[in-house]
Amino acid sequence: MRPLKVAVPKGALFEESVARLAAAGLDVAGLADPGRQLTVSAEGVEYFIVRPTDAPIFVSYGGVDCGICGRDSLEEAALELVELVDLGFGSCRFVVAEPASACGVAEDSYRRLGVLRVATKYPRIASLYYDSIGVQVEIVKMHGNIELAPLCGMADRIVDITATGATLRENNLVIVDEVLSSTARFVGNSASVRTDPRVRELANCLAASAV
Amino acid sequence: MLPITPRGFKDVLPQEARWREDITSRVRALLDLWGYAPIETPTLEVLEVLEQAGSMSSMPFRLFDTDNQLLVLRPDVTLPLARLVAARLSPEDLPLRLRYVQRVFREEESLRAQAREFTQVGVELIGIAGPWADAEVVQLFIEALDTCGLRGFTVSLCTVAVLNDLLDAAVAKGGADESWRREVLAAFHASNLVRVERLADDPRVNERFRLAVRKLFAVNGGREAIESCRALVGPLGCGDGLDALEATWQLLEALGSSERARIDFSVMCSFDYYTGLVFEAYAPGSGSALGSGGRYDRTLAAFGHDAPAAGCAFCLETVMHALDAQGSAGADASAGAGAGAGTGTAVSMAEPTAAAALEAFAAAAALRATGTTAQLTHTTPKGEVL
Repeated sequence: MRPLKVAVPKGALFEESVARLAAAGLDVAGLADPGRQLTVSAEGVEYFIVRPTDAPIFVSYGGVDCGICGRDSLEEAALELVELVDLGFGSCRFVVAEPASACGVAEDSYRRLGVLRVATKYPRIASLYYDSIGVQVEIVKMHGNIELAPLCGMADRIVDITATGATLRENNLVIVDEVLSSTARFVGNSASVRTDPRVRELANCLAASAV
Repeated sequence: MLPITPRGFKDVLPQEARWREDITSRVRALLDLWGYAPIETPTLEVLEVLEQAGSMSSMPFRLFDTDNQLLVLRPDVTLPLARLVAARLSPEDLPLRLRYVQRVFREEESLRAQAREFTQVGVELIGIAGPWADAEVVQLFIEALDTCGLRGFTVSLCTVAVLNDLLDAAVAKGGADESWRREVLAAFHASNLVRVERLADDPRVNERFRLAVRKLFAVNGGREAIESCRALVGPLGCGDGLDALEATWQLLEALGSSERARIDFSVMCSFDYYTGLVFEAYAPGSGSALGSGGRYDRTLAAFGHDAPAAGCAFCLETVMHALDAQGSAGADASAGAGAGAGTGTAVSMAEPTAAAALEAFAAAAALRATGTTAQLTHTTPKGEVL
């Protein structure tokens, strides 16, 4: 039988993902220090170390059987896959923020000009949110340091992810609304979930250790 | 401008075209033996008409014609066929067994590696309800995928009737409201177990219903899975569709097809027009479903002609990818068809005269009459073959 292919997110979710996979009974020794290696083979399983935002793509297109990533990445990717377990860790929030010094400016400008400009790394999540509250916005997609966009006057607000709020505070930004909260999820490829019992077994083990 | 095709649309060159023809002609022959007749629907449909049967889950291409009528390129074949049957055929024509090979068109966002045009090979069995009709469609689906040369595929099946029954009962006597019901259905459609579990935490809903909703998604296996499902929802007075599903399963077992099939209640995720049996086929090496099908007993009534119906279709391109992944690409498949591109006996026209041409045409015709492929070639006065 071929090894089960599992996508493991690098970055903030990596350490706890490895711990959960270990608790679920997988051999994760090779993940302790993968160095520059992108794939790690172990007994009956092959790990693929991926960017969290790419995990839904690997899973949905069947590059891997299953994987771990944040709900935020799932919402942003909006791809077909099976969301199996809320792993509970890696919690963060999506918030709308604006410069503390510009309190009320965005509302004024919305009244005058009828549109807000919002900078974000997550255009789908941002536009779903603004559609749901009926506010007309121009969304500009950026790739990092988006706190700069309102500070230099390029955008009225940002929609961004925050765990502690520290980066926002350091840049004198204040939260004006909550968009959604996110935790890590275990997801499976729709074909693998239905044809390979190992995916559901792993889901059950992860669910048991998540409680 | 470069001679490109639109994103998600592709040319089919002779080698692939021959392979496609080979697969579809074998499946056509199989479906003919089951008594299915060919049918074709137009490429364009009136959007408002198709929407009478419910909202479309895929995004169709839309356009206005010169009459200002809003049209769509057909995003699937089931709805147009239901429209056709309701509009063109009378009750005495039933039951109908129809087969088709048609291109369908769906809008997809860019950079998602998705085709926007693909080929559906499918059947519809209209006018018969019941487990034997369900079993016919599933058995046919399995035999069609077999005929394509696929090995190791699985057909996962269940019934949406049991979830609908459970949610109806939860609303009627379990304290649930309509919006909860809609959200649970949407979570099942999205294959989002985390969301199903969150909704099953709603304290307003009776605990026994919540437990059943939570567990239903995970019920899968062989025949015993139907029993597990019955044990789960039976005490709540629910169980619509389970007897039919069991009878269908028994037939498949007797036909020797149950080892290609599995009961799996997580498959309730396709179109919302299904009313009973639903199924999807998966193959190793193929990340998405090869095809799907189910029973849609209310769709024809939406077009003004009440009749039960079931059908299924597979995506030709997805099946060809799966065949390629298992190492059965088109070359060997075309060998049996007699002639690969450009092979056969060459009949040469030596001189550029009408008499020589006539002679060559006649010689080639004589060869073809014996079943040999004969291709006309031309030579220059210097004897070079063109």
